[in-house]
Parts: sequence; C-alpha cells; structure tokens
Amino acid sequence: MPGGMQLKTEVLATSACALCGACLDWCPYLKNMEDHLVLSFDCPVQEHGRCYSVCPRTFTDWQAVNEHFLAGIPYDADIGAFQTVYRVKGRQPLGEQQDGGTVSTLLQTALLEKMVDAMLVTGHEDGLTPLPFLMEDAGDIQKVAGSRFLASPGLRKIIEAREKGIEKLAVVGRPCQVQALRKMEYNKPPEVPALDVLSIGLFCMWSLAWSFKDYLARTYPGITFSRMAIPQHGVELISNEGTKQVSLEAIKEYIRPGCAYCLDMTAELADISVGAFEPALGWNTVLVRSERGKDLLERARSRDLLQVEEYPPEELNRLRQASRNKKARGLSMIKQAADQQRFAPFIDMSQSPYQEIIAESSGKEGF
Amino acid sequence: MEWMVTANEPGKTYLMQGNEAIVRGALEAGIRFAAAYPGSPSSEIMTMLGHVADDMDIYAEWSTNENCAFQACMGASMGRVRSLCVVKQNGLLTLGDSLHTAGLSGCKGGVVLLVADDPNAHSSTNEFDSRHQARAAGIPMLEPATFQEAKDMMIYAFELSEQLQQVVMVRSVTRICHGRGNVTLGELPASPSQPLPIGEWDKLISINWFHDLQFTKLDQAQAAFEENPFNWYTGPEEPELLVVTSGTGWLYSVEAVDALKLGDRVGILKLGTTYPLPEKFVLRYLEKTSRVLVVEEVDPVLELNVANVIAHNPGLNVSLYGRYQKSALPQSFELNPDVVIAALASLMGIEYQAPQTGEVPADAVVNIPARDLTFCAGCPHRASFFLLKQTLRIHESNGVVMGDIGCYTMGGNRAGHFLLQSIACMGAGINMGEGLGHLSRFGFEQPVVALAGDSTFFHSCLPGLVNARYHDANMLFVILDNSATAMTGFQPHPGIPLNCMGKPANAISIEKVVEGIGCSVTVADPYEIEATTQLVYDLIKQPGLKVLILRQPCATLAVRTKGRRKVWVDPDLCRGDECGCGRFCSKTWGCPGNIWDYEIGKAKIDEVVCIGCGVCASLCPAGAIKVEGGQA
Repeated sequence: MPGGMQLKTEVLATSACALCGACLDWCPYLKNMEDHLVLSFDCPVQEHGRCYSVCPRTFTDWQAVNEHFLAGIPYDADIGAFQTVYRVKGRQPLGEQQDGGTVSTLLQTALLEKMVDAMLVTGHEDGLTPLPFLMEDAGDIQKVAGSRFLASPGLRKIIEAREKGIEKLAVVGRPCQVQALRKMEYNKPPEVPALDVLSIGLFCMWSLAWSFKDYLARTYPGITFSRMAIPQHGVELISNEGTKQVSLEAIKEYIRPGCAYCLDMTAELADISVGAFEPALGWNTVLVRSERGKDLLERARSRDLLQVEEYPPEELNRLRQASRNKKARGLSMIKQAADQQRFAPFIDMSQSPYQEIIAESSGKEGF
Repeated sequence: MEWMVTANEPGKTYLMQGNEAIVRGALEAGIRFAAAYPGSPSSEIMTMLGHVADDMDIYAEWSTNENCAFQACMGASMGRVRSLCVVKQNGLLTLGDSLHTAGLSGCKGGVVLLVADDPNAHSSTNEFDSRHQARAAGIPMLEPATFQEAKDMMIYAFELSEQLQQVVMVRSVTRICHGRGNVTLGELPASPSQPLPIGEWDKLISINWFHDLQFTKLDQAQAAFEENPFNWYTGPEEPELLVVTSGTGWLYSVEAVDALKLGDRVGILKLGTTYPLPEKFVLRYLEKTSRVLVVEEVDPVLELNVANVIAHNPGLNVSLYGRYQKSALPQSFELNPDVVIAALASLMGIEYQAPQTGEVPADAVVNIPARDLTFCAGCPHRASFFLLKQTLRIHESNGVVMGDIGCYTMGGNRAGHFLLQSIACMGAGINMGEGLGHLSRFGFEQPVVALAGDSTFFHSCLPGLVNARYHDANMLFVILDNSATAMTGFQPHPGIPLNCMGKPANAISIEKVVEGIGCSVTVADPYEIEATTQLVYDLIKQPGLKVLILRQPCATLAVRTKGRRKVWVDPDLCRGDECGCGRFCSKTWGCPGNIWDYEIGKAKIDEVVCIGCGVCASLCPAGAIKVEGGQA
C-alpha cells in the first residue's frame, strides 16, 4: 500500500477526492478547511499509508469488499446487494427532517435499542454549512435532522470516537463515506482495535463545493438560508424570507469535481440505505441490505416509530435506472481520465457490472 | 581588571577583536555621539559603545534605521561634537541619499561613517562592496588592514574629517571586525569636547553649488594621503611584480609572498587611504615594475583606480591583473591566502601545490553531516512559517509570499518550508506585496502575503504600510513580532522599553501604529498552530489590506527570563516508525529539540536544546509529547 505522496498524486491533485474525511485527524500532513483537503507537507511515508488504505478513490476490489460485508445478500447490478426495499416515514416529526425523517428515526432506534453507543452524523453550523457531530444522546437528533448538500469530511470524527472509547457507532454517511468506512475495516491493520459500525447510507447524486455559499451570497445578498431541498422540479433554498428556486443548471457548476467519478448513488455497502421517495413528498425509500440493517428497521417498526409500506415495482425500476445512469456517467469520467492518463482507474473496470455498463453505453455520448 | 576598551593604559598592548579596536579608536578620538542600526559584522560596536556610554560620557543609540542614525550624526556634527555612525554594507545603501547630500554639505564636528562589509556574505544577503559609495558620494575613505590600524584609523579619520569639514568613511570587513590581533592602546581624551553654540549663519546645506568645493576637499585629502603612515611599500627596489593591496588583502599578500619565497622578486604596496588614491605615491612604484597584481575585497575598486592612474600616465609600461574580468583572481566571493598564493604563483610561473585537506590527521577528521541554516529550538518563526505554509496549501490558491530581512529570512530555506518567494532588502516585502496585490484588478487571483519582523517593521515598513493603506492594497501583511532584533544579537528597537545605553525608552506599540494608519490589525500567537492557521485562512479570504501580528518573544531571549519547561516523549505513546507520521516531529516540524532515539526507535527531546515551548506536543498525532504543567 503506497503512502501520502501517492494519495496526493492520485486523489488530491486529480480532484478525485470525495471529501469523506476518512484520512483526516490521524495524520499530521493531511489538513482540511471548508472543502479543501490537502497534504500540507510532503509525507515521508512511502508504504502502508493509512490514508491510502481507507480512501474510496484509491484502487479497491469493490466486489471483494461487497463479498466481505454483504455475503449471501442478493446482488443487484444497479443498486447493490439488498434484501428488501420499502417506502418509509417516521411516525413523529424529528426536527427539520428532510423527507420522511427515516434516518433520524433509525438513529433514535439504534440508541434506544442500545445497538450503538453513539452516532456520527452531519449537522450544520448555519443552515447550509455542514458540521459533523458525534452524539451520544437521542435527544440531540433533532438538532441535526435534515440533509446537507455541501460536502463535509465527517468521517474525521471516527478518530474522536475511538479516543472516547466508543465501541459501537452508528454512522450516517454519503455513499463515498460508507465505502471509506468499509475500507477502514477491510484494510484494518490487526493491531488496531475493531470499531463496530452500523452504517446508514444516504442516496446521493453529488455534493456541492463550498463556493456555492459565495454564489448564494452574491446572488441573494443579505439572505441567510437555513435549508435546502431538491424536489423533482429543481432546487429550493429556504430562508426566513421564503423560498428561492435555483435551477439545476445553476447548481451544476458547484458540484464537486470528485463526485463526477462516483459510481454509487445508493450507498451500496451500507447496512441500510435511505433516500427520497420521489413520487410522494414526506416519504423515504429504504433499501435493507445487511442483517443488521434489517434488524434496525424491524426494531424501529416494532417500536412503532416507522410506518413501513410496500415499494411500488415501477418506482424500483426508476431507481435502478437512475443509479445505472450515475454509474454510466462515472465510468465515462473514469475512463476519460484513464485514457488521458490523468490517473489510473481506482476500480477494476473488467468487473461486473462495470463491464456491462461500459458495453451498453459505448457509442453513446461521453464514451 | 579594567576592560581594555576603556582602560587608561597608553602603550599597553592587548589582544583585541577588530570591533573592540574600532570602539577604542573612537573613544580615543573623543566621540560624544554614536548611532547605528545593527548589522553583522558591525553590531558589536554600538553594543559596546552603549555599554560604556555612561562611563565615557557619550551618547549612543540604536537608531530606527541607518538613515536615522547617519542624519542624527550629521545633526550632532552641527553642534561641533565628533559623531560616529556604524552600519553594514546594506545599511550604507539605506542611508545612500543622506550620504550623497552630506558629501555636498560637508560637516562641522567630525563625522566618521564606519562601514563593515561582509565579503562572502557570511551573515548577509549579498557581499556589496561599500567602497563604490565613497567614490560616488565624493568622500574620503580609509581601509584598515590590521587590528592596530582599525583603532588608529578612527583617530585619523576624525582628524581628517574636521580638517576637511567632510564626512570620512572607514571601510572594514568581517575578518577585521571579528578577527583578533594585538593593539597598543593610545591616550583617552582627558576631558570630553563640549558642543559649541550654533550661530545664525552656521549651516549645513546640501546644494549643488558646493559640488566644486567637494572636489577641492577631495584634492586636499589626496594631498594628505600622498605622505601618510597608513600607506607603505615593502620589497625590492625594482620588483618583477608589484602587489597593490588594501584591507585584508594585505595580510593575504604578505602570506602569499612569504609562502612562495618571492620576497626578493615581488613588492607589496599597501594602501590604507584608498579614496582618493594617492596617485603620486602609487605612480612612484608603478614606474619601477612592469606587472601589477591588485589584491582586495570584494570588487575591483582599487584595481580600477590604479587602472585610472595607468591610463593617465602613458609613459607607464604596466600590465594590470586582479579581480576585474577574473584576470588573476575570482570576481566574486571572499579571498583567502590560498587563492592569492595560487594567483601569484601563476603570474610568477611557479609550480605551487596547495596543501590538501587529506593532510589533516585521521583522528582529527570528524564526520559532521551537512546542516542547513535553521531556526533555534522553540523559535516562534518556525511555528509562523509552518502555519503560514500549511494555511496557504490548505487554501489551494497558490498564495505568494514576499519575504524580508531578519532571522526569518532563513524561512526561505528548509527551516521555513521554502515559503518565501522574494528576498530582497529591508522593507522590500511589503512594497513588493503592495505592487503584486494590485494586479488583482487584471484578474490575478492568488493571495499575496508579505512578512516583516518587528525591528524591520520600524526600520523600513512604515512608508510601505502607509502606501499600502492609502492605495488599499490587496494583501495580508504579517508582522513576525519576536520582540527583538534577534538576528544581530537582541539589540533594542523602538518596540523595546530599554535603549542602547540600558535606559528606559518609550516603547511604541506596533498595533497602535498600524491602527493609526487606519489598518485593521489582528494579534495572534504563532505557537497556537491550529487556531492561528484558522485565523490566517479567514484573513486571506478577505479582500483588501489586512495586518496580522504574530507575537511570541524570541525563544532564545524568553528562556533567559522565563526559564524552561520540561518537555519529554512518553515512549509508551510514541509509536515510532509504526505511527505513520513518518517521524513528523524531527523530520517535518524540524525543531532542533526534536530528535530521534535510534536505540529504541522512538522520538526524543534533546533536553539540552529544548526550551520548552511545547508546540511539538500540540502537533504530535499520537499525543506522545508531554509538557510539564500541561500544554503550552
């Protein structure tokens, strides 16, 4: 396993970094402020780099990782291994929840059921600015409810959790962060004590660069936005002075470049994945993946915290197609970068389902 | 025992440092006023004068800059007392305009400008040859070749200055200033001279009407130099080759002639009064030889003056060799006996094998690894440079950093992670930053940072800051305030409440000055790496002119007053090479106090060197470095 300089060359210098935060705070060289993540000084570590081993953008045999964590779960080429899919909503509102409040409810359940000692979530500083929190009290959940669209390196807090002696941790993360969590465990040196992680993955199309805040400050001077949402018709920015509509086109410029290489929309390696349920506001889509994820959902249901409904088959197909489209776009970008020798692909492109997607997409724009 | 510098023991011989001899000479000359700005190799002179000021009833000051110092001497000169101004070669250029106007006006009481050059730039950014300035400003110049002359020339310089009513420059070099030799003391004045009343028509006016008068003074100086005990010849009546030399060149020449046993073939014309050149005196020896080698530090100043004599005397049949166009000696860097011996041997057609270092006895050879210049243990500059480099890297906008002159100039190399992108003269950083920052109107987007130390701030940044404020420069100006002129040995500056003579002074607050100019100013502690990194990050994002004072006293000075806290590595917590930090403390942080224990393969603190600042403890990713009484 190479070290920090290789990470710099392959991931940081190529802007492939997903800003998951897994490499931060255990290394004196890797530094972050806002959405900048850099190797601040040349790293002398040339082999066994911890940063390199956990990064979701360094080469990984994702099939093997999937086999390791989700063995025996039926594998879906579009949305990863899962057991069942539901549409779900929380019975009681928990703070400024995004859709059905499912993530907040699952976290609440995990703590109440003592499945975990603490949870790592992304709250906010001033509405839009994300801030990771390590929380041990279910009462704090409503403070952090709701989605953040600006990228946040929340996994840096894993170090703090270890230092606090937390053994069982629930982590809510973007797909890249779930990938990093799995790599942390998969590549863990034997002397490092295990951290029992319950991963709640979020559906994610992209995250935004922090310069989006500068755009808002320029476009809407004086307005402080507290929330953001992306219903089907576009982007909504909510403030005390009402809601502003921003077109997806305007947003695109601020999508982090690292997100273009992402092949995972539904957090395929999570114990349980949660996203919006597009046909009806106030509902979530939930993909139950591992036994653990299944257990968590069941406990929430039996405590009557969640309303769990059948998932419309046509909607599952739409979800699959959306995820497949993201994979196709990401593969196209990775292939382009590899062809132009900007970096070596961090996946084995001959693996399934990449090969099939490349085959069916070839000839189309971008390929 | 009485200190030899002030000992009233005429005729007694002491082993003296050149700078001590200069001080002694100035005291024997009866100076009442002395002003300087520190700069190696001259700094000890004013420190000593400040030390003896009370006893000798003189006034001594560390001026805010060299220009202040020189003009102050000119002012004291109006009161008809003898004044000494001491600078290094760079400082001479700082007072350049003043020197040229003083050359026109002349002086009343004697004014001697002692300039200490630094051939090879041992402790300088350049090896500028000050002698050009004597010629350019039209003032006489003397060059001591021995430690005795360093003392004696001071007395002669003041006599000459008063005789001509002209400033006289004495040009020393590092090897004279910092070398040691025998000096026989002269008389100290029985009673100090008193200032004389200045009449209504007593004036010092610099105006071009006096340009011709200036040449008359030079002619008078030249006449005085024709018969002068500081100039002499040794060697055969008609030498095959004549060495013309001044300053330390004379010592090397004597050694070269001796080493090559050329005493009966080569003559040495040693000149102590090198501007204006005593032409008749020199001509007398040029007529008796056909080849001339000029040996001097650094530039071919004497050589070109000799060439001038040759050009104006067509009857001479002389070939001239020296440093000009490397005809015999290198064009740059300091001379030494070996170089001069080789040049002389070559000109005389003698085979000469320089002694090899291999002749050093085997047991005397020590394998010392090559080491960079670096900051002292605990130096706040190390922390400042670390956090500035880190912040600019994190900001990913290729911030450009303008350096300045002081200890922190070393931040241009590894000690400061090669942060500095410009190193020029004192006060240059803020002005270069001001200019570059204005390019933002043309689409230049990189942040601009300029650095200066506290002493440099007062020395030459004030006009720059006014300029930057007035023009709303787009830059971050960082004042590295270690509350000392540390590079040259902790001389006081206007921010320090104790003056050159050890008396209380009206210390000036840097932040009040900055605020008075209308700048927003933030004061932060460079030892607080994380918080200050965040602060700098926020500041560079803001447009316009920002001023940040990074304040932490020079560690070498602080340890004398505050004592040192114990810092140690807990070997149970330090994970050694298994850590993954790649020996961050000793390799990247790089404080001399952070070393590696090769026996146990873990980090270690060098207790002899460590001053206990505790910054490394805050940076260790394993929390393995412990500080007595908790962290800094």
